Amino acid sequence: MADEYQYDEKENFDGKKVKVLGATYETGKAEGCSDWRAKLETRDEKVNYLKSALRYWYSKDWYGSEKRKQEV
Amino acid sequence: MPEEKERSIDGATVELIKKAERENISTVFSRADVMKPCPIGVEESCCKICGMGPCRLPRSKKDEGKARVGVCGATIETVVARNFARKIAAGTASHSDHAREVVSTFLKTARGETMGFSIKDEIKLLEVALDFGIEIEGRPMKEIAIELGEKALAEFGKQDGELVYVKKAPLKRQEIWKKYGVTPRGIDREVVEMMHRTHMGVDQDYKHILLQATRTALADGWGGSMISTDLQDIMFGTPVPVLGAINLGVLKEDQVNIIVHGHEPLLPEMLVVASRDPELKQMAIKAGATGINLTGMCCSANEVLMRHGIPSAGNFLQQELALITGAVDLMTVDVQCQMQGLQGVAECFHTKLVTTSDRAMIEGATHIEFHPEKGLDTAKQILKMAIENYPNRRHAVYIPSHSQDMVAGFSHETITYLLGGLFRASYRPLNDNIANGRIRGVAGVVGCNNVRTTHDAAHIAMIKELIKNDVLVLTTGCAAMACGKAGLLTPEAAKEFAGSGLAEVCETIGIPPVLHMGACVDNSRILIAAAAMVKEGGLGDDLSDLPVAGAAPEWMSEKALAIGHYFVASGVFTVFGTTWPTMGSEKVTKHLFEEYEEMFKGMWAFEMDPVKAAHLMIDHIDKKRKALGIDKARDRVLYDMAMRRALD
Repeated sequence: MADEYQYDEKENFDGKKVKVLGATYETGKAEGCSDWRAKLETRDEKVNYLKSALRYWYSKDWYGSEKRKQEV
Repeated sequence: MPEEKERSIDGATVELIKKAERENISTVFSRADVMKPCPIGVEESCCKICGMGPCRLPRSKKDEGKARVGVCGATIETVVARNFARKIAAGTASHSDHAREVVSTFLKTARGETMGFSIKDEIKLLEVALDFGIEIEGRPMKEIAIELGEKALAEFGKQDGELVYVKKAPLKRQEIWKKYGVTPRGIDREVVEMMHRTHMGVDQDYKHILLQATRTALADGWGGSMISTDLQDIMFGTPVPVLGAINLGVLKEDQVNIIVHGHEPLLPEMLVVASRDPELKQMAIKAGATGINLTGMCCSANEVLMRHGIPSAGNFLQQELALITGAVDLMTVDVQCQMQGLQGVAECFHTKLVTTSDRAMIEGATHIEFHPEKGLDTAKQILKMAIENYPNRRHAVYIPSHSQDMVAGFSHETITYLLGGLFRASYRPLNDNIANGRIRGVAGVVGCNNVRTTHDAAHIAMIKELIKNDVLVLTTGCAAMACGKAGLLTPEAAKEFAGSGLAEVCETIGIPPVLHMGACVDNSRILIAAAAMVKEGGLGDDLSDLPVAGAAPEWMSEKALAIGHYFVASGVFTVFGTTWPTMGSEKVTKHLFEEYEEMFKGMWAFEMDPVKAAHLMIDHIDKKRKALGIDKARDRVLYDMAMRRALD
């Protein structure tokens, strides 16, 4: 079974050569596009997504580097 | 006469330049052979803003040390700064007038007054509504959209305050803009004020002129361009990764070939819909073709590629060559970057050139004006005209076989999603991989083609050098198309061309090492992606702290200067190639290349050699990495419980 996969040789954190599993993508060309945005159906899901994924602008809390700045 | 290989690195382009020469057809390449750039104009040492001139103020060894002034006493610094500023005003006006057309169509669509248009992306509508401070709770989409359209339209005529999108920039950046008084107030206001201040006898201090040029450019990047991108996304869908193909080989001998060329995606979107109409397909078959083949050129191509996977015939310098195949039955043009030479080439063949915007006509071309109220009908009318023209092909068709697959559609929203999925969407993985050094930095390589340099060569040489050195590249416009043709926009390109660190990250996420982010107005997506990197944390407090750089190695349009200047004013080191329009004044050049770094923490540079330019960018990225303290690999420390307890 393992022979079906391609392995690549890479360095680990200690610089030792190790074998890792190579690419396992399906062959052929994609048709159309996979619209991940269609997975969000209701208004609540959409707003919640904005507040979490794009929290940098749409969360009520300041975020990341600017959170510290707001707390000073 | 230059060798063909010096004119382009693209095989299809070289083949068709040869065909044009054999058939004695005038193209941008042949015209450039006989028309050399004006040596005074190239360094902008000429003033023609009043009737007392034109005043020519070239540098000369004979008059070295003498003040160079026009008849009114304007110094060479004033003249060069004015010329530079006016180019930025024109570039900003172009993107922003595009935006105005988009907003107008959006508003009419929201009110139900258009034909064929709709609100496709509710998430983006809510996102932009929140930007504009619009109440979304419990309100229907239509109501939100109308309020958004009205507020977006008001951004153009605003006189005071600041543009809404300014607040999306990092706080520190906003403070810098306030400090120098360059926060844009209203889009049109900044362009008008720029034109006024560069009129004869008004603003005559080059540093002061350049400050208004900065405010005008910011009104483009954080105004007009951003509005275009966002409202187009709402109407046509926010791009997600899609497979497409590029180069003149996408034309099909046995099909009705229509090319959409220009910039505004309004009519092209309707042409996409109409081209799938079974009645029109049947009509094409009756005319002797096997179908309808809709393709794009320049930024119109990028728009329909990003959202529908419509193939791209090529970039700016290929527009006339596409017609020389003899296979193009109709080409539509709307605004920006469409050469008047197209009509002359079209007349050598059976091709119909159709102008579609009320703002842009070409002598000799057919004019079919696009109005969103009857958008789909107009699109069908144009397709019918193309089908009827198919039997009129009178020359042997020659389509070069070159065509390359590519993946486009990397909006900043999609990048966020790809980095963490629906539940952990975040820029954290990107920032972490920059901090750990797998990704050295990020570069935005954008812009046009320029016939004064080998077509596509500088883009590809620069980008290959960047990705080889683990710099992730974001690209738009004609630069993105050059990358597509060179095979850099596929995930497989990471393994072949990228350094080991970048390749590893690309392989893990499943993305190419060069991300196609759209048309030239979509450079605003790069601004937002960079702002998200800052806000995520760990890479400083401002865009200028990030290990990033920008470039337009083959620029030619005034829009490119506006884009470059808003990147500089946003804190990004930006390198242009081919030519630089302030060489007439050492003081103005020094101000933009050195003193701007003190003021805006971003500055311009000029380097004709694309590989050397890439290394200027890498050096800058390394400088920023050092300042952030992420320039050296650190030992991994596994914390035990005692160490954890010792943490505050």
